[in-house]
Amino acid sequence: MVCLYALFIGIALIASAVLVWATGGDWRAVLPALINGSIAKPGRWGQTLTEAAPLLLVALGAIVATRMNLVNIGQEGQLLIGAASAAMIATRGSGIFILIFSILIGALGGAIWSSVAAVLKYWRKVPEVVSTLLMVFIATQLTGFLLTKKSLLLDRSADRPNKTQTSGQLAANTRLPYIHIFGNDISIAVPISVCIALIVVFLLNRTIWGFKLDMVGMNARVAQRFGVSERSAGIIALAIGGALAGLAGSFMFTSGTANYRYTPGFANNVGWEGLLVALVSRNQPLVAVVIALVFAGLRTGSSFLASTGIQREIVDVVRALLVLALLLPPAYVFLRGNLHRDKNKGGK
Amino acid sequence: MDPTIFASAFTPLLNIASSDTMYQSMIRFAVVLAFAAVGELVAERAGTLNISAEAMLISGAFTGAVVSDHTGHITFGLICGMLAGVIVAAIQANLSHRLTIDQFVVGLTLNLFVLGLALFLDARFKPQTNVATKWRVPGLANIPIIGEALYGQPWPMYLILPTVGASWYLLFRTRWGLEVRAVGENPQSADVTGIHVNRRRRQSIYFAGLCSGLGGAVLVLAQIPINGFEAGHVGLKGIIAIGAVIFGGWTLRGTLFGCLIFGYFFALQQALPSIGYTINSQLSGALPYLAALAVTSIFAARTRQPRALAQPFIRGLT
Amino acid sequence: MSEVRTSGTGAQASVPLVELTNISKRYGDIAACDNVTLSMYPGQIHGILGENGAGKSTLMKVLIGLVKPDAGAISMNGVVQNITNPQSAARIGFGMVHQHFSLVEELTVWENVLLGEELKFDRARARVLVGEIGERFGLTVNPDARIRDLTAGLRQRVELIKCLRHDPRVVILDEPTSVLTPAESEQLFPTLREKVAIEGRCVALVSHKLAEVLHATDVITIMRQGRVIEHHETHQTDAPSLARAMVGREVSLRSQHAVLGASFVSQSAPSESTSTTDATDVLQIADACVSLGGVSKLKNLNLGVRAGEILGLAGVEGNGQRELGDVLSSLLTLDSGLISIDGTIVRTGKPGSMSRAGIAVIPEDRHDSGVVLTMSVAANLALQRMVDFSHNGVIDEVLLFESAQQLIDEFEIRCDGPNAPLHSLSGGNQQRVVLARELSAKPKVLVAAQPTRGLDVGAIEFMSDRLERAAASGIAILLISSDLDEILHLSHRISVISSGTIVGTIRRQEATMEQLGLLMGGLAL
Repeated sequence: MVCLYALFIGIALIASAVLVWATGGDWRAVLPALINGSIAKPGRWGQTLTEAAPLLLVALGAIVATRMNLVNIGQEGQLLIGAASAAMIATRGSGIFILIFSILIGALGGAIWSSVAAVLKYWRKVPEVVSTLLMVFIATQLTGFLLTKKSLLLDRSADRPNKTQTSGQLAANTRLPYIHIFGNDISIAVPISVCIALIVVFLLNRTIWGFKLDMVGMNARVAQRFGVSERSAGIIALAIGGALAGLAGSFMFTSGTANYRYTPGFANNVGWEGLLVALVSRNQPLVAVVIALVFAGLRTGSSFLASTGIQREIVDVVRALLVLALLLPPAYVFLRGNLHRDKNKGGK
Repeated sequence: MDPTIFASAFTPLLNIASSDTMYQSMIRFAVVLAFAAVGELVAERAGTLNISAEAMLISGAFTGAVVSDHTGHITFGLICGMLAGVIVAAIQANLSHRLTIDQFVVGLTLNLFVLGLALFLDARFKPQTNVATKWRVPGLANIPIIGEALYGQPWPMYLILPTVGASWYLLFRTRWGLEVRAVGENPQSADVTGIHVNRRRRQSIYFAGLCSGLGGAVLVLAQIPINGFEAGHVGLKGIIAIGAVIFGGWTLRGTLFGCLIFGYFFALQQALPSIGYTINSQLSGALPYLAALAVTSIFAARTRQPRALAQPFIRGLT
Repeated sequence: MSEVRTSGTGAQASVPLVELTNISKRYGDIAACDNVTLSMYPGQIHGILGENGAGKSTLMKVLIGLVKPDAGAISMNGVVQNITNPQSAARIGFGMVHQHFSLVEELTVWENVLLGEELKFDRARARVLVGEIGERFGLTVNPDARIRDLTAGLRQRVELIKCLRHDPRVVILDEPTSVLTPAESEQLFPTLREKVAIEGRCVALVSHKLAEVLHATDVITIMRQGRVIEHHETHQTDAPSLARAMVGREVSLRSQHAVLGASFVSQSAPSESTSTTDATDVLQIADACVSLGGVSKLKNLNLGVRAGEILGLAGVEGNGQRELGDVLSSLLTLDSGLISIDGTIVRTGKPGSMSRAGIAVIPEDRHDSGVVLTMSVAANLALQRMVDFSHNGVIDEVLLFESAQQLIDEFEIRCDGPNAPLHSLSGGNQQRVVLARELSAKPKVLVAAQPTRGLDVGAIEFMSDRLERAAASGIAILLISSDLDEILHLSHRISVISSGTIVGTIRRQEATMEQLGLLMGGLAL
């Protein structure tokens, strides 16, 4: 099995190198740039860890939904709503209480956003894969709208240049603190996220609540027989997913993304990539911690690619290829086993 | 009731209804949606749900732009767009219905991958396109208001007609289509009767790839004012196409009608300013998606989906 | 069933039409078919008798191309054939009418007949074809009807048409009467004899029902555990010998009598006296009505089960039993009517309400609503009682394990320990898990739906024994079964359900096969 993984990852990396070479880039420069950007150069691995935190949170939310066989792919939008909600509160005041309050509001905003999809699913049978996805676009427009009105999110300060559409900047005493070690700045969002991951693992595997969730995901009819309503479990699972994505957004905002301002395109694909983290970690929260780090490394590493003359978008391709590489081995093994059985049944 | 209130509400509506820009826009959007929706309809009747319709559109659009720029011929661009769609479809079909990787996972990954790849290559190659020539049906195109919209479009747009015709014929007048429909309703029974369930599903996805790839190419090569490829122009139209299929209750007529409705909302966003009305840009931007959400909510509960929709088939595990 | 037998001696030609030689097929450790050798002669109706799991279905799947045998040969008219898939089997001349039909409900009759064919898609021709075959074999069906609108009997006709369209030399029917009313069954056998078996065709009738096989066949092959045990001419054998061969040992007098349809009084009948003195119902179902998709499934169903009794609910499948089971499992809401336990009304359709009220259910399809295949045995044994194994919401794994081990020992569940995944257990052991779980909840009512279906003899005896013990301990048991043997074997009282309503209730002592057959056919006493 490990050989299969190594093989497929190798193929993915080779394919990426070929792509760079075929489009006239220097493929030998890619890996060093990535490594420099993610961990090698001073201060980088702190940055990587900080960027891993929201990825991890989004992934945890996705994992909870998948336990129940729900397909929630709207985290990018839920994250935006969370960040915008947090920004609206936090830029209005200052101090630690506002900070905490705004973070919670961010989580709540994300939860409400995903609950809309949940309600539509159980009330009107809309497949959540469609509704959560549509809501991403709606979220983009909605938060864009918020940025046009001073009464909502737009920066109120007098010296804002007319063209920029951003929110006010977060006051210095309302920012999420950083831990400084070995020359690196790590946001406290990181340890908080890891704790949340541990809590999620505990809840899912060791509590009755997690057991009921598993029951509903594995056999909804049995769950119904024994008192677990698919509807309430589903709404809660989706709400948790939204809350975690919203929390990720709040953390991103309060720990300095875009220089403590809410800007258009704030999410910067963290929602999509968090989803991929969950998929690749095969819905194991602890594995997601590691994968989130890897993906964060790709993100921070890619910022060093500009100097090599290779477009940043190559990282998207590499990432997708890696995802496929990590998804294929189990499928391959399953298929071999099934083919073996199939031969006995007369084949296709 | 003050009659002037009536007038002030009525006039804008009348202006919108009688604006030929509006209809031209609407048809343009509707046709692109229809390419994707009709293909996806066939795939969904077979029981698959492919959110990678988005990736198929993007691949068709980008490849169409590059090839037509390189060769100078729009026809080549269209053909290569179709091929690009089929390639994406092949990945989706084989990973999900041969290697049993979850179809949503594959779809999402493909969407992100193809988009990233297209953006990457676009930055490298920066293809430019020119819009294809218009075909005006003399006489008919002069009908006021809707004439230009229906009969004066650039010629690749008319390819939707054979595409819809082919889908109808395939699905309802061939044995292949019968088997596809059986596979989407009751794959176990179909299997026992000797039909290759997953093979039919894969084939239906290839067809969807053909249609969506063509649609993407048409989008780029036949619509103004677009020059070159820009990712935002596809903008989740693949997902909206799925919404149209749901709206249409998985029937051909309903799906096409759904495309018209969503086309209308996209058109509102684009054409309103030219008629002289301003609407909040974010609201108009969100409108098509809000509409898709609303429409799906109304119709998903009322219509009957293919019974085995989105349920993977693995022999022996049922 | 009527006493007129349609079986005959079946003119035995000297050359067999089909010969199976040493067919073997293993699935892991289990030999589904073990060196099976038999011959079928033209013009004959050949019965293949055996219990569930005896290997009959696998053997037929080999003939029809759905399963590839590990060893052995099949020859038609002396020529060895290579059957690779259903289409090639059809070309060679084998046709099968499946037990659980191979029809697609949303499509029409003519579309279904075309499915899987290598024919041109031509609606007019298909309709004509349906008409032609229908007339030739006496199986008229409207070609434009949608399958979902047809009754089970009509659907079987479509299956037959699909099969006969290839003009097969061998027609295989797999448990054909399991979904038919006695009246519909009566119509089937003469059709087979008069229309199908002529012209040198051979009919293979696969069944586990003794009476049916005795009634309709010319020769009988008995299979047990994958092997051919015996082979008889029908007119030279009788029910007791068949039963003995099928099961492998002396079958109790009770079962034999039940099989033959004679009414009987058994000395060791479950004590009737207790159930007649205590006349209050523990479980009361009053005027239950349920419609699904516009079709009425339960129509004013009234039923009462007393403590300590086993009430057998007999009836052909598809008359509302499944819906009743679902209602009592909190899976279906009544449109009208009431369910009450000891006088307290229980809300239907609300998750867990039935279970909490003390109604335990052994469902007819355990994979659907009985077990969670991917969870462990221990988890499955504790599904509704997890609270008992936790402190403040946290699961106590040790407690769970110990309790599971106890139940495993008590119910003799064969598995790799409490942590084994449930799907690794055999069907019989999975059923024991269900039984163990339901009984361990100390219920007031136990609903057992088709509890011994698909089980081997040992498992059946265990299950029956447990049910009797449960009744003796005071639980009210509702036994829903389409197997009359089982009903007659276990019940104190018997109610018959037909078209969603109870058509009659009689005490077991007074029950005869004839009465029950009439009731099941929908005719009230």
